[in-house]
Amino acid sequence: MVDVMCNRRGGLILPFLLLFFSIGAYAQMNISGKPGLIYIPSAWAAEESSFSFGYKYNPVHYAFRQNRRRSESIYHVNLAFLPRLEINLNLLRMNGDLRVQDRGIGDRQLDIKYLLLKETSYRPALSIILSAPFGIDNSFSSNAIVASKTIPLLPSFYADVTVGYGSPYYILREESEKTNFDIFSNLQLRKKKELRYRYLSGPLAGLNVRYGKKGGLLVEWDSQHLNLGAYAMLWKRWTMQAALLNGDQVTFGTSYIIDLTPLPKRLRTSDETK
Amino acid sequence: MKRSKLLTVVVLGLLLRPALAQPGLSETARQRVRQNFENVALDTLNHTVYYEQRLYRNPFIGLAEMRQVLDDRRIKAFVPMIQGVPVGRYMLNSSLDMEPLSEDERKSYYQQSPFRWQNYKFDFWIQPVFAAIFGNRERPVQSNTSVLLQTQLYLFRGLVFNGGILFPITNHLDGRPQIIRPAPLFLNYFRAIGQSQFLSATAGTFYNDRYGINLQYRHMDLSSPWSFGLEAGLTGFYYYPRGGIYYTNLNELLLQADVAYRLPVPDLTLKLSGGQYLHNDRGVRFDFIRQFTNVEVGLYAMKTRNGATAGFNFAIPIPPGKILQGERARLRTGEEFRWEYTYSRGFSIGERYRVGYQLDQRLRQYHQNYLNRQYLQLR
Repeated sequence: MVDVMCNRRGGLILPFLLLFFSIGAYAQMNISGKPGLIYIPSAWAAEESSFSFGYKYNPVHYAFRQNRRRSESIYHVNLAFLPRLEINLNLLRMNGDLRVQDRGIGDRQLDIKYLLLKETSYRPALSIILSAPFGIDNSFSSNAIVASKTIPLLPSFYADVTVGYGSPYYILREESEKTNFDIFSNLQLRKKKELRYRYLSGPLAGLNVRYGKKGGLLVEWDSQHLNLGAYAMLWKRWTMQAALLNGDQVTFGTSYIIDLTPLPKRLRTSDETK
Repeated sequence: MKRSKLLTVVVLGLLLRPALAQPGLSETARQRVRQNFENVALDTLNHTVYYEQRLYRNPFIGLAEMRQVLDDRRIKAFVPMIQGVPVGRYMLNSSLDMEPLSEDERKSYYQQSPFRWQNYKFDFWIQPVFAAIFGNRERPVQSNTSVLLQTQLYLFRGLVFNGGILFPITNHLDGRPQIIRPAPLFLNYFRAIGQSQFLSATAGTFYNDRYGINLQYRHMDLSSPWSFGLEAGLTGFYYYPRGGIYYTNLNELLLQADVAYRLPVPDLTLKLSGGQYLHNDRGVRFDFIRQFTNVEVGLYAMKTRNGATAGFNFAIPIPPGKILQGERARLRTGEEFRWEYTYSRGFSIGERYRVGYQLDQRLRQYHQNYLNRQYLQLR
């Protein structure tokens, strides 16, 4: 993202401005904890070796597992494992008193995101997101391709535009927990239409109008609904966000980012270690 | 390095030269940092310092701190040791360079600086252990959690006795009594053979309820990408019922071979391993291991006769590290917390046990590229 605008044609001011949106663009984490908007992911890669964790509340009308019956809590972590590859783990838990067969730790899901193209001055970033196919209940799978581009508006104001397409198919492994000893067995292609809630199934679009990296307003089409939201970032690490889904119910969440690269400050600032 | 007169100085020895103190850390702060090290020896003729540190899982922090508090700025070569055995020679130039030590160089150091257990602190650390399975309807997290108070006794060069006490916190995994009991008790012998071969032999009671013997061999040039290893273990099952110990015969063989390739950017190791696991399971496993500065994260998949599964693992330092430290004794937190998540449970797919450290995990922390990338952060 930083090389985005440090292009040959870039003016003097662009590389300077860049400092701001290099973090801003991915400070915002979507419902599954990936850099993105509210439901939809964006194409920008998380900063190299960054690790984030957070929580999202998903209201009952838009619940993935038991739609219109139970709201959900989603806990997520995201790691920039390689410069272009992110790993996302999330845990989806239904809220409230559950029937015995619905209890348990929740649905764990592993997603990966690969940055196919970095953003340049004339082309958007392009990423592909895939859910690991070995879950036996993939109601929350993200299989999508997204493109994102930042457009400077006014000084310190930027528009992050994302468009993409979510696969209307997903992979399911029909397996009982008692015989679930081979993660590569019984893989089946299923239509998202059969699910009670179709997460990322069809065209996606989103716009984030933000002020530096401090916060922004979000609007997105998540393939099913139009959602509006806002977020703020505190101390460059802590994001808080809320959104109105389909003009109907509210989702909210928070996330925190850590960079795994720096050595302890006492060594970085010491002259004697150089 | 030629055979030379080696000035052997213990931690105390470093303190004899406070006059040349550099601006930066105050003298008291420098003395505090010096206490992080054990078995320090200066070879002023070859501008080399030998030292051992058990505080940090990331050896670079030890290296940078040693550089920070050395009064003699001409010392350019740093030789960290594992259990009294020099690992390699690291030079801090415009980049961090590494040279393997020859057998002769090691011998010369051993002669000049004979092993003395008094060169080591009484070192105690607190180590959490957490094993869990997920997915039970009534109790989503079934865990076996305990806190260990551990220590090491250095017997002679390379040979260390590890022991401690285990304090149980939770146990939903088995019906065994939650009693305060011995932590794993074992002897470990670490040895370097030639320039780039290493051996770790362990005998005693291990983690994961196994006891017996375990041998690990690794050929690893710490500046080249390829390495390979062999591991053999013969173990039985044990646990502590109330008022005694229960154990089976030494009846399970673990046999592993692996080959690993390390990509310098971005500190990614690809490792293919295979062989026999516990419960007579046989198969192969592929690991991607990324070394971040202080944290390691791995992803893996495996296919064995018992099934196929995948998961991830990580190793993180345990804050706060040092708790109390003096010249002769120290209380700290364990240098790392290591944990592995496996997607499948209950099918005994590729299971193994853990001894004190795995040779490949320990050695890749000393790889030149890993340390150099950190060194470049400081320049």
